[in-house]
Amino acid sequence: MRTLPIALLFLLLAGCASVAKVESGERSLGERMLVSLDGPWNKVSAPDMGPAEVWTMEGRPVDELLIYSGIKNEQVIHATAMGANRKNFAFRSGMQPDEIVAMFEGMLTRDGSAFKLVKLAPADFGGAKGFRFEYSLTRKVDNVQLSGLGFGAVSSGELFALLYQAPRLAFFPRHQPRVEQMARSARIKT
Amino acid sequence: MNRRGFLAGGCACCVGGLVPGLAAAQAAWEIPARFARPEAGSDEGGLWSMMDREEVRLRKSPFSLRDPKLQAYVQDIACRLAGEHCPDVRVHLVRTPLFNASMAPNGMMQVWSGLMLRVDNEAQLAAVLGHEIGHYLARHSVERLRDAKSRSAFGMFIGMFGAVGQLGQLGLYAGMFAYSREHETQADSIGVLLMRKAGYAAAEAAKVWENLQLETKARPDGDASRSPFFATHPPAAERQQALAELAQASPGGVANEAPWREGVKPFLRDWLHEEVKRGQHEESLALLGRMIARSPAAADHRWARGEVYRLRAKEGDLDRAVADYLAAIAGGGEPPDTHRGLGMIYRARRQSPEARTSFQRYLELAPEAPDSALIKSYVEELRT
Amino acid sequence: MRLASSVFAVLAVLLAGVAWGQSKNLAPGFTSLPRGAAVVVMPTDIELFSISGGGVVEPKADWTEAAMQHFKTALRDKKQKLGLRVLELAEKDADELAEVNTLHAAVARAIALHHFGSGALRETQLPTKEGKLDWSLGEPVQAIKKLTGADYALFSWVRDSYASAERQAAMVVLAFVGVGLGGGMQVGYASLVDLNTGQVLWFNPLLRGRGDLREADKAAETVEALLEQFPVAK
Repeated sequence: MRTLPIALLFLLLAGCASVAKVESGERSLGERMLVSLDGPWNKVSAPDMGPAEVWTMEGRPVDELLIYSGIKNEQVIHATAMGANRKNFAFRSGMQPDEIVAMFEGMLTRDGSAFKLVKLAPADFGGAKGFRFEYSLTRKVDNVQLSGLGFGAVSSGELFALLYQAPRLAFFPRHQPRVEQMARSARIKT
Repeated sequence: MNRRGFLAGGCACCVGGLVPGLAAAQAAWEIPARFARPEAGSDEGGLWSMMDREEVRLRKSPFSLRDPKLQAYVQDIACRLAGEHCPDVRVHLVRTPLFNASMAPNGMMQVWSGLMLRVDNEAQLAAVLGHEIGHYLARHSVERLRDAKSRSAFGMFIGMFGAVGQLGQLGLYAGMFAYSREHETQADSIGVLLMRKAGYAAAEAAKVWENLQLETKARPDGDASRSPFFATHPPAAERQQALAELAQASPGGVANEAPWREGVKPFLRDWLHEEVKRGQHEESLALLGRMIARSPAAADHRWARGEVYRLRAKEGDLDRAVADYLAAIAGGGEPPDTHRGLGMIYRARRQSPEARTSFQRYLELAPEAPDSALIKSYVEELRT
Repeated sequence: MRLASSVFAVLAVLLAGVAWGQSKNLAPGFTSLPRGAAVVVMPTDIELFSISGGGVVEPKADWTEAAMQHFKTALRDKKQKLGLRVLELAEKDADELAEVNTLHAAVARAIALHHFGSGALRETQLPTKEGKLDWSLGEPVQAIKKLTGADYALFSWVRDSYASAERQAAMVVLAFVGVGLGGGMQVGYASLVDLNTGQVLWFNPLLRGRGDLREADKAAETVEALLEQFPVAK
């Protein structure tokens, strides 16, 4: 571990990442998913971020939208660069909705954060039979209490999902409607 | 008593003889008088202030387990162990599914839910708390922090990551901050002394470590150092031997299993659930196997092990899971999730009538369950 | 007292290259607080560290204690000069506001990272914010107003590290051989929030290689830097 105060790390990391605008309108996500956006988002890119696209409205320390498009059997769903000691979570084509949610829960709690499932129900997603779930997450590193919303479906053995989380105070209610709209607009090509 | 004088005197007594001299050393060591707050400018004072700030953060943290009854129960045990130092000991319970307890030089004591899940009785809890109080009374943290590297690691560990730090960092820094062998031996010795004074059976102390070893040995990689507790308290075979000898030297005392079971009953299901969620199947199986052996009729443990088998899903596991779920139901008072777990397995095996029955029972027992909508849809599917 | 480390040097060059206009620190449409505005000063989050000869960083709680005192004093003096009606927050009230505080800390990190963080490295700016300081904590801040009666809240956070004497000596020696050693730095922010709307009205990040919170007079200088161009009507 470098001897720099951790306060500086966020400044340094900024140098490695880049942010691009996602314009409203139709947008392709991976090879098989399409969404229709009612407004712009910010897409964050950095080396070794894992297979999900990461979008944000207020900045990563505040809110995050994870977009999974066409995740294949046995593919690890998160970055593996850090924490060689930590358990990895991979998708398996035969997974049932509760198992997929448990997989996301595992990923979100790798750092000691606390997850609580609030709701899990069947729902169409992208034109496929899928599920929708709501959760709360207490972030370990800074104790922020987040609310989360997820949508998922497996199509031709591949996983398609959206996960959005933001502080339960002010921010989650502020952006939730747009995420719901995005999920409703999603189309998975068969 | 002058602090430096005590340190010099106390340690000279204890460090020398190690295992054979332990019993004698124990007799020579005296519990010091209550500590005064050190000056801010001293190395200890600096540590103290930092711990005070961490304690404020801990109090406000959502990970803090704030049940007044349980907190008072554990505080009382810690108090009786600490004797005259009781007013200086402040117990904080923390929601984290790992075995850990710690005591900072300012009197702040943390007890993690993973520890409370694993001890069988008050005496075993007292063994761990007594051990931590031993480190506190013998000023080990401060000694450790005379070593700059340790100081930095500890500071990073506490100051930057918080007393309830990020799990990833915990292992890294905790290892660098580990107590020395001499410290461990002395804390063991003091811990047993305090246990006996408080009326607890010293034989329970060795059992705690035995049980923990069972779990860590079950890991596929057999690596103990990932446990934050073992990172700061390096385990050593001689210590178990020493503890057994100490126990033999002072027989008698109570274990108080019944009041402990009563006290943690309202939390057991949650803690078992969090243990299962850790996804460390082999360790969980070792732990649950032990708990089931102690109380074969307890439904909660059977349910939990059924969940672990179901999630691990190796060859033969699903059958084992079904067996455990059925045993939980036979025992009575099973968690509603038992039926859910059974339903999932039956559904996967295309045993539709059984799956439907199980899911329906789950919905009956837990109509407000978070996934009730999903399970209802399964029931509908299974009708066709 | 400190030499810039290679890392700091890079950042400093980048930051220096950007001329920060007044507007970067201010929310759109906001210019200044009216004189006599009621501002509650949230407890400052400060930690001071020392870097030993070998580059080992350790927290120094006695320095932190001193720094907190100096900061409070300097802030009090500054408030007088700024002509604000300042309210302090009781410790027990601070407990009740824990969630709002942690929320603010996360927003401040986002602002520091995405609005200011890398200056010339525009890529980290969030395009949807269109270069504006446009973050709001929303309704939840009204809990602070309720407890204190203030209309605005001032938050501050400082992490400060200092080279110990051995390190300074090492730095001097190595400088002659052309090696740049990190001497420590001061990182922080001050943030002014509107307690009616939750809008972050003004944000001032600090990132530099100088400043000293351990001494009262020098601490006053840090407060000056943190509160540089604090938006109050003249």
